[in-house]
Amino acid sequence: MTTPQESREVALRVADIRYAYGKTVAVDGVSFDVRPGEIFGLLGPNGAGKTTTISIVSGILPPASGQALIFGQDASGGSGKARARMGVVPQDIALYEELTAAENLRFWGRLYGLSGAGLEDAVRRSLDLVGLADRAKARVKTYSGGLKRRLNLAAGLVHSPDLLLLDEPTVGIDPQARLRILDVVRDQARSGRAVLYTSHYLEEAEQICGRLAIIDHGRVLAAGTVAELRRLVGEGPVVRIRGSIDGDGLKALAARCPGVSFLSADGDSASFAARDPDACSGLVRELFRSGLKLDDLRVQEPNLQSVFLKLTGRELRD
Amino acid sequence: MRTLATLVRKDLRRRLVDPSKLLMNLAIPLVMAGMMALAFGGGGDNQRTPVLHLVVVNQDEGPIGRALGNAQQNPEAAGRMEIRQAKNRGEGLTMLREEEAAALILIPKNFSADLFDGKDVELEVVKNPAASIMPVIAQQGVEVAALYISIGARLLDGRGPRIAELFEGKGWNDPQAIAALVTELYDRVRGIDAFLIPPLIEVKTAERETGKEAGKDRPNFMIWMFPGVMIMGLLFTANTQMRDLLREGEIGTLRRQLTAPLGAVQVLIAKIVSVAAVVAIATVLLLLVGRWVFDVRWGPVVPLAAATAVIVLAATGFAALVFSLVRTERQGDAFGGVLVMLMSLLGGTFFPPQVVPSWMQGISRLTLTYWSHGILRDLAAGGGWDKIQRELSILLIIGLTLTLAGVLALRRRHLRGAL
Repeated sequence: MTTPQESREVALRVADIRYAYGKTVAVDGVSFDVRPGEIFGLLGPNGAGKTTTISIVSGILPPASGQALIFGQDASGGSGKARARMGVVPQDIALYEELTAAENLRFWGRLYGLSGAGLEDAVRRSLDLVGLADRAKARVKTYSGGLKRRLNLAAGLVHSPDLLLLDEPTVGIDPQARLRILDVVRDQARSGRAVLYTSHYLEEAEQICGRLAIIDHGRVLAAGTVAELRRLVGEGPVVRIRGSIDGDGLKALAARCPGVSFLSADGDSASFAARDPDACSGLVRELFRSGLKLDDLRVQEPNLQSVFLKLTGRELRD
Repeated sequence: MRTLATLVRKDLRRRLVDPSKLLMNLAIPLVMAGMMALAFGGGGDNQRTPVLHLVVVNQDEGPIGRALGNAQQNPEAAGRMEIRQAKNRGEGLTMLREEEAAALILIPKNFSADLFDGKDVELEVVKNPAASIMPVIAQQGVEVAALYISIGARLLDGRGPRIAELFEGKGWNDPQAIAALVTELYDRVRGIDAFLIPPLIEVKTAERETGKEAGKDRPNFMIWMFPGVMIMGLLFTANTQMRDLLREGEIGTLRRQLTAPLGAVQVLIAKIVSVAAVVAIATVLLLLVGRWVFDVRWGPVVPLAAATAVIVLAATGFAALVFSLVRTERQGDAFGGVLVMLMSLLGGTFFPPQVVPSWMQGISRLTLTYWSHGILRDLAAGGGWDKIQRELSILLIIGLTLTLAGVLALRRRHLRGAL
């Protein structure tokens, strides 16, 4: 149980929340905090429980147990004050295609109590922020996928929320639009807003998240800064191979190499973590000596992909 | 209230941007009503009774052929049919084609004599397929005439030649024989009166007025038909509008609204209000069309306004309940459509509920269509508050129950995360 004093220090506190769709457990004891000025990432594959977590935090779904506090107030109680401080950007492009961009933003702004000149200012500012000021009067149905994603983000920002919940905001868009959205998100954090950012794009999460939690099957497997998470697989390089492999054989091979640990085998791919470059060289020599038919061999710096591999035994594919 | 207004305004704005679906909904009952008006002759003061144009080739020299060939001399028939005589079949067919008559009737030689002698006779009818429904009317008219003539011939039972002589002006100088003939025929008719009296077909005659007042008191079929078709159209309109709730669920705007500082019930009520607003607009438009196009006079304004409000509530509540029970827009269309058709059939859209078996009449009273039709038909027939009060109260209860059930069911779905 958190004290009001502790709650005031964080924008969002998620404490041991659980939710199930019938017999399928979607969220199983997830906990994390997000502080003002921070981008906190929830990283996991599709179906990991990210959207359900966002739905609970945003008050759409009541948790079966646990609680989500927004600036100290329970999100699930329908608290108007808590919700008014929160901006949600859903994974779906939740906009009215029959209306123009400005009409959409005016509608979402009014729902948060904006009106008159304040509303018009907010609409103009949001459109500027995502670079859509010149398309304000165009109907959304005439927008490309990337423009719709940018407007979707603007609709979550129109009332200047203190906490921003972004559920996979860059799914299915071109790299240019993605960069634009990531820039806006960074700017929001720099201006002191707390951001909860879900994604299954590892590189994206590595780029913008100060801290993140890796989630799979509704559970947080690990949480921390990118550097802290990388350390879970060691400081040394990661060796990835592809070819005709045998998981048990590779485990035995890794055991024969000093300073090498077996990470995972998934289909025709496998990964190893080496303690240092010497251990890495030893592993590579042993792999060639073993007579395995390899199609590919790569030596990489440890990244979130290797962390996910180590934690789940499988790759997180885009 | 401000938030509610924002939500409703957004929906109405979206409808105005693309009103095609709403117009389609409104067009359906209007087209149906129009077709029925054409088929059954309902309509306003300026509607004229169609005239049946016939060509007759009368080769019979007897009294029945003469009677059939000159049927338009009957004052009742004079305004409804126009008969032209042709000398022979060829000329008759030419006239049928060139003068756009509905049918050619051929009365063969010795038709009367053979009939009086008890022989089988034939009447030939050649229909003109280019003359719409009138040839069918002509055929059925001739069949009815043939039936009556056949019954008459059987009653004569061999006395035909004697009667034929009388028609020719012979034998009137023997009063005793005439009296005996009449007595015999009278006894025969009395013998079968159990079959003929009361008559199976009763023909009522009415004097037709002329001038400006003509048709004023003529019963307007659309007073009965239009309210039924209108209610059916309104139910379809309500369903089409309510499907937007599931559409918003699908595109994610509903969930996004639920993250704003407003309650789920507020969002659901706003959706119901916006659907009700569109149904109300549709109701007013259909009432105006009923008045201007089909000459349906809806009576005093206040009862009509109350009836409109209650009908809108009932139609909207029905649609809310339908869409709380289905998962997809397509399911809603199918389920809602079937329910509307069932309620229309049971509730008396196409035929009076009184003609169905009594157990079915019990079910029809459970439908909102039954009460909605009743209210509008009573108003159109000149009824006021006193006439519609009971029906209005029952429909109000039905409407409130449906709306409440719809809101609760939708809220339950929302709490399960299914909206």
